[in-house]
Amino acid sequence: MSAATPAGGRIRSAMGLMRSFPAQFWSRLSLQERLALIFVPAAIVAGVVTVLAVVLLGPPFLDFLGANLPLVRFAVAATAILLLTVPTAFVLIYLELKVIARMNLRIGPNRVGPWGIAMSVIHGFKVLSKEDFAPTGADITVFTLAPVVTYMASVMTLLVIPFAPGLIGQDLNIGLLYFFSMGGLTVVGLLMAGWSSFNKYSLLGGLRSAAQIISYEIPLTLSVVGVIILAGTMSMNRIVLAQSGSLLDWFVFKQPLAALIFFIAATAEANRTPFDMTEADSEIVAGFATEYSGMRFGFFFFAEYVNVFIVSALVATVFFGGWTAPFQWPWAYNLNWFNPWSFGFFGWLAIVLTVGYFGTIFFAVFARLFGGREWGLWASMGLGFLFLLVVVAGLVVLAGFIAFDWVAGLVWFMAKTYAFVITFVWMRATLPRVRVDQLMGFAWKWLLPASLLNLFVTATAVVLLNR
Amino acid sequence: MDRTLKARLEARLSDHLRAPVYQRHDETEIRIEPGSVPEVLRTLHDALDLRFEILADLAGVDTGVAMQVVYHLWSPMTSDWLRVIADGISRDDPRAPSATFLWIGAEWLEREAYDMYGIVFEGNRDLRRIFMPPDYTSFPLRKDFLLPDDAARSPGAGVRHVERAHVSAGAADPAAGIRRAPAS
Amino acid sequence: MPAHQHAPRTSPARATTRAARPHPQPSADDASARQYSSADDPRVMLDRQVGALFEPIPPYPTRTEREGEFYSLGDGEMFLNVGPHHPATHGVLRLVLKLSGEQIVDVDPVLGYLHRGVEKICENSDYYHVIDQVDPLEYVSSLFQEWAAVLSFEKLMDVQVPRRAEYIRVLSGELLRIASHTLFMGFLALDLGGLTPILYSFIERDEIVEMLAALTGARMLFNYFRVGGVNGDLNHEFMSRLGDWMTRAAKQTEAQAGLLNENEIFVRRMRGVGVLDRATALRYGVTGGNLRASGVPFDLRRAHPYSVYPELDFNIPTRDEGDSLARYLIRVDEVRESIKIVDQCLHNMPDGPVMARLPRLIRPRPGRAWGACEGPRGMLGVYTISDGSDGPFRFRIHDPSFLNLETVPALLPGNLLADTMAVVSSLDPVMGGIDK
Repeated sequence: MSAATPAGGRIRSAMGLMRSFPAQFWSRLSLQERLALIFVPAAIVAGVVTVLAVVLLGPPFLDFLGANLPLVRFAVAATAILLLTVPTAFVLIYLELKVIARMNLRIGPNRVGPWGIAMSVIHGFKVLSKEDFAPTGADITVFTLAPVVTYMASVMTLLVIPFAPGLIGQDLNIGLLYFFSMGGLTVVGLLMAGWSSFNKYSLLGGLRSAAQIISYEIPLTLSVVGVIILAGTMSMNRIVLAQSGSLLDWFVFKQPLAALIFFIAATAEANRTPFDMTEADSEIVAGFATEYSGMRFGFFFFAEYVNVFIVSALVATVFFGGWTAPFQWPWAYNLNWFNPWSFGFFGWLAIVLTVGYFGTIFFAVFARLFGGREWGLWASMGLGFLFLLVVVAGLVVLAGFIAFDWVAGLVWFMAKTYAFVITFVWMRATLPRVRVDQLMGFAWKWLLPASLLNLFVTATAVVLLNR
Repeated sequence: MDRTLKARLEARLSDHLRAPVYQRHDETEIRIEPGSVPEVLRTLHDALDLRFEILADLAGVDTGVAMQVVYHLWSPMTSDWLRVIADGISRDDPRAPSATFLWIGAEWLEREAYDMYGIVFEGNRDLRRIFMPPDYTSFPLRKDFLLPDDAARSPGAGVRHVERAHVSAGAADPAAGIRRAPAS
Repeated sequence: MPAHQHAPRTSPARATTRAARPHPQPSADDASARQYSSADDPRVMLDRQVGALFEPIPPYPTRTEREGEFYSLGDGEMFLNVGPHHPATHGVLRLVLKLSGEQIVDVDPVLGYLHRGVEKICENSDYYHVIDQVDPLEYVSSLFQEWAAVLSFEKLMDVQVPRRAEYIRVLSGELLRIASHTLFMGFLALDLGGLTPILYSFIERDEIVEMLAALTGARMLFNYFRVGGVNGDLNHEFMSRLGDWMTRAAKQTEAQAGLLNENEIFVRRMRGVGVLDRATALRYGVTGGNLRASGVPFDLRRAHPYSVYPELDFNIPTRDEGDSLARYLIRVDEVRESIKIVDQCLHNMPDGPVMARLPRLIRPRPGRAWGACEGPRGMLGVYTISDGSDGPFRFRIHDPSFLNLETVPALLPGNLLADTMAVVSSLDPVMGGIDK
């Protein structure tokens, strides 16, 4: 190191440096000098390029975006949905831990945060911090791509789910078809994972998932054809609108057999118990995910829960009226007199401070009373603040529910979806796993004929009634 | 103690018995040559007044003098356990006929006896070690396989460690050798 | 060049075809045959082909015909190494499965991962220590292994056990049988993918184990039976816990059995799988519930009565199907019978001492004795040879799981991979006892 040599040596080395430029130039620099030599020019160049780009390309780019608003909408929707999947998965993981624990007569997570609500966040950090290794002999490229494919396939299906009136990623006119094609991509990821892991358990899991998902796609798709005939469209939004009105307009009452088939096939599609053949832990260890670790495994893990959410959302959308309310609100109330801007900045500040101060103390008293001695003073204050936030958020949602159509729709949609999520969790806690040949036999011998029968009856009825 | 069983056994197996039928508590014991094991077991299993159809156990024994293979049999025809001792198997080259022709389940029991004593059961199709690793070379339950704290090598050979303190050093021959079973 | 490019791009399925090469046959007395040749040295193989490392092929010449036949692959077959570390193998059992697709062609169980040489240890201990040493063998129901040992020792010693001690032995043994069977049901469901029954099982087992802890001082390895009796009389905590539990035991058992018996998926996965017929079961030396599920009413409590079982009124349930479901249902029926026995023990419990009068140092006359009792998994036997010293000269432990597990290579071929767990779990092996 030049820094450690005496002055004479440094002069000599500088002369040598001059002579042998550039061959020995780089090797004689210290780490800091090398970093500076890389990053300082890079930063300068990047800054100049950015400024130039904004100045030169900015106005035409904005014009382009303005002219292609659907593209902007798509990009924003895709980003929003990608971001949405993480909290969704967190909520579902926590829900599953807690609900199964209650069904098993256990307490479940109760250490991280009050009632363990931060457990899935900790799970997320755990998989992030774990070593991410690939087994010897694995095909690294495919091994790395597989979780991405699976995760993206799950996320992309969310794009056509109508969360609320107007709150939909893309209202494609072939929404259902898009959904099934994207959902079918999941199997590619699983097969890639199984094949590239260089492990027989993975391979068996991958092959099982291929066989299972492809078999169950057919009754799954055929069962909604009746709905498509009735609704006359494949657009998810219009399928929901076709069910608006009252409870009796839901397709589950017009297509009960299809709803049943769809629910069973969707369970298999999401690899949930009793059809979780692909990751049957007592048989093939963890199936396709056996060799995965770290965030690569995390992607599979998240994708599984996102899949549960999506499948539940689809059941709710197609058969249970989506975001439509089961009945009309008799007390529709107009909140237009309420103008939040009339308070002004200081008015809001006063409201926030007053409500925050007294609300926190108010709820802290309850936390102190019911939590007993185990909550300290500051802990109960914090818990009181948390309670306050929950209550205020509930009030805001209530106000939105009354005032805005889309908030009400979102609440209904989420309520229906999570009802099915909990059904899936309940099934997982209750049922053992079916055997792989029974699984395939059930799909081909029972579900497929039943869905064909349903299709036939629906089509006949529609033709006869429309005549 | 089933006296009639003794009579039946003596009637059926008189040619093979090495020693008189021995009875104690609910156990009847016969001693045979290892060579006559298949014949004796076949008779015990098939004879209508014996019907020893359940092989309760097959154990190897190293008496320090010779090897034994001990069969325990159960029959609905008697209230006794029957113990068949195939005695006098050489310790240097222990060989005995297999019982797998009657009880296929004896296969693993014989593998265990082979693993522990090195008794080669002729006729067992899968006689390899079952507990010890395949590259293991000795037979741990033999009496010349001494544990580091084996009392047999202590100054008082044959004296259990419970009372080892009472035995003065040098009282017995340090090279007394291995423990031997009492002559029955 | 990135490091991973050294790895061959072979698929797992393709790598298995390497195993088709025939193994050199062992020569009878050739010591060098046991040496690893350089070609079969794992380190050489690591350099040459990584894939071969993942094969469960033994790196030595095959020793028997059966082994050679097993470790050579036919067309389209592959090995799958289940265990010793696998979520569904009880303990550390290793099953090498030869698969054709998901169908099992052949099985080679590999034992010995838990081998501690308990027989050797016992032969170097005295009679008191032996009872302690045999405890961890069948760790789910360790009282029965103690029972077999003390039965054998008592025959050697000609000891008459007091009647109260016998009743206490039966009482605690039957309680532990219930705990063991309950746990069996839970683990069976767990191996079939059901998450919940195992936790319900543990609640039940925990109550029993806690009351036995009040009686014996330990939850799992009781060390309670003694030559000539038991190590302590019934106490108040045990009796109150037992009475508390008895009020709801029958109902709880029915509820737990209903959780599985009436589950269509469970029944369909168990029925007709791993059928063990009567003749085969006898030829394999299978005992316990597995034999009774095949139609043989062989239960030592009736077949060769010991202790006070002749005085007690209970049935030996049998079934004729011999499949996994029958093996499961037998256990459910046995729990009901055991509850009956516990009830009778409580009502008939005589007064008196719980230990026979014996010298401090047990030193039986030279002789041989075989003691056997009926454990939850079958007949547990102990064959003791005494040379007149204070420890056994030969101490032979016969564990029922050992022979029950031996049927696996006969039961599995033709079934699917998923049935491995249904069959092995329904046989209820405990590796601690198998490996000794």
